[in-house]
Amino acid sequence: MALIASKEFREFVEKFESEINRGISTLCVLSIVRQSGSEGIYGYKILKELEEQTNDMLVIEEGTLYPLLKKLERDNLIKSEQKKYSGRPRKYYFITDNGEKIYNHITGYYTKLSEAISPLIDISVELKENYIYCPNCANKIDISKEDFNFCEICGLNIQDLKKKVD
Amino acid sequence: MSQKSMNSLINEFLKQVKNKLPNWLKDKKKEVKDIIAELEEHLWEKAGELSDIDQPTEDSVRLAIAHMGTPESIAKEYKRRGTPKVYITEELWPLYIKVLKIIFLVIIAISIVSIVLNILTGNILEILSIANLMPYFAVFTIVTIIFVVLSMEGYFPEDFKSEKELRRKKLKLEKAQELGLPISPKTGKPLKPFIHPTGEIIGGIVQIIIGLFLMMLLIPGLFDLMHLEFQSILRIFGLLLLTEGGLDLSRGVIGNYKVQVHQVIHLITIGVKLASIPLVVFLWMRPEIFPFFNWDESSNTLIYVGVSEEFYDLIRMIMVVVIIITILVPIEDVYKIIKLEKYKIRK
Repeated sequence: MALIASKEFREFVEKFESEINRGISTLCVLSIVRQSGSEGIYGYKILKELEEQTNDMLVIEEGTLYPLLKKLERDNLIKSEQKKYSGRPRKYYFITDNGEKIYNHITGYYTKLSEAISPLIDISVELKENYIYCPNCANKIDISKEDFNFCEICGLNIQDLKKKVD
Repeated sequence: MSQKSMNSLINEFLKQVKNKLPNWLKDKKKEVKDIIAELEEHLWEKAGELSDIDQPTEDSVRLAIAHMGTPESIAKEYKRRGTPKVYITEELWPLYIKVLKIIFLVIIAISIVSIVLNILTGNILEILSIANLMPYFAVFTIVTIIFVVLSMEGYFPEDFKSEKELRRKKLKLEKAQELGLPISPKTGKPLKPFIHPTGEIIGGIVQIIIGLFLMMLLIPGLFDLMHLEFQSILRIFGLLLLTEGGLDLSRGVIGNYKVQVHQVIHLITIGVKLASIPLVVFLWMRPEIFPFFNWDESSNTLIYVGVSEEFYDLIRMIMVVVIIITILVPIEDVYKIIKLEKYKIRK
């Protein structure tokens, strides 16, 4: 009998996956809202983008997306604006400055964590060259855009690090 | 397939979601309206996409509703709010402790009254009864259960406040941030001003005036009659008063800013206050220099008569009391230095 047929196995795996997905879903939703820039994006479109960009791998139960968006909005990571579309009100979401900073920090942390655990789970992680990661707090810094010399999260002087990359 | 039946399917589902939402959210009518409107918009769009004819059908509406999840699972996500901490969320914890403290204080007050009454009526056995502890256990259990349930429902302390009150607090916080006033890292609320600048300025000026008055011994007719050593003590005391007044005045001028400077000023003030102790000790050693006057009716002037030996012990006793008070007074400054620590962290 296939292991997946076992209720015990299924329950364990589902619980484990759900635990892993919880934080990642938040990060991915934030990423999609961020990608939409000043145009903003509405709930249903976020789900479609999520499915498309993760090849249907990361699927959020539709009803749980809105409480998640509400939480991000309450925590001042995103903001919303009502617009009319075909006579119906539609809520568009935008990333805030605070959300942008937190996104960079969390993705930086997640990237460095993935790199660190990669030997444990036998995968390889290739980091993109146009970013540097703060050695102190793992904040992700886009060197092509940013011209500051200090990490904006922890204030560490990153001039030397930038010179090395240059 | 009629639009009416599709509407009814969606409305029925949305009604169920609305009913299952946590109570703290139901109280916020506008938020509930927004949530429902957003879900409805989502369902129509999804139903259109799932339909073969690009228009929602009853089947595609049913399917869209199924994709959305159950009303319970949606509501459950809204309840997932707050940071877990021993079954009661971190956000509700301070309120929980506050409620317990208030109720326990009331019970303690009632218990004290009851003990006094029992002592007066000679009912000693009643005082020692284990039953006296029952109200504490009962209250603790009931309050804890209530807060565990509130935590499970995702309540936050602000959910117990009216929107008007929340708006007022938000404005207060914004104003405090604008003025750069300290904000509690624990509660996120602006801390109360730690000094009243006007009071400190007025108090400081008064002290400076009295200090100058004593230093310069401005009423020669009176001060010249005193013992020279007593005059010197008054001058030094005036200088100390002037210094203390100057320190208070500077704190008033700085206002509710520069916490560390306030702490340093308090530290100096402690030194100034304690510096008057040697003067009092000197008076304790030389009670005979203490001024004592009589009114001479023939010349209509004050005459220095000094202190009779029999009053020396009385004066010494008074000086001991003054020394004790002088040692105790700086405790206020120590307390303020400690209290100011929490004003150092700003958001």
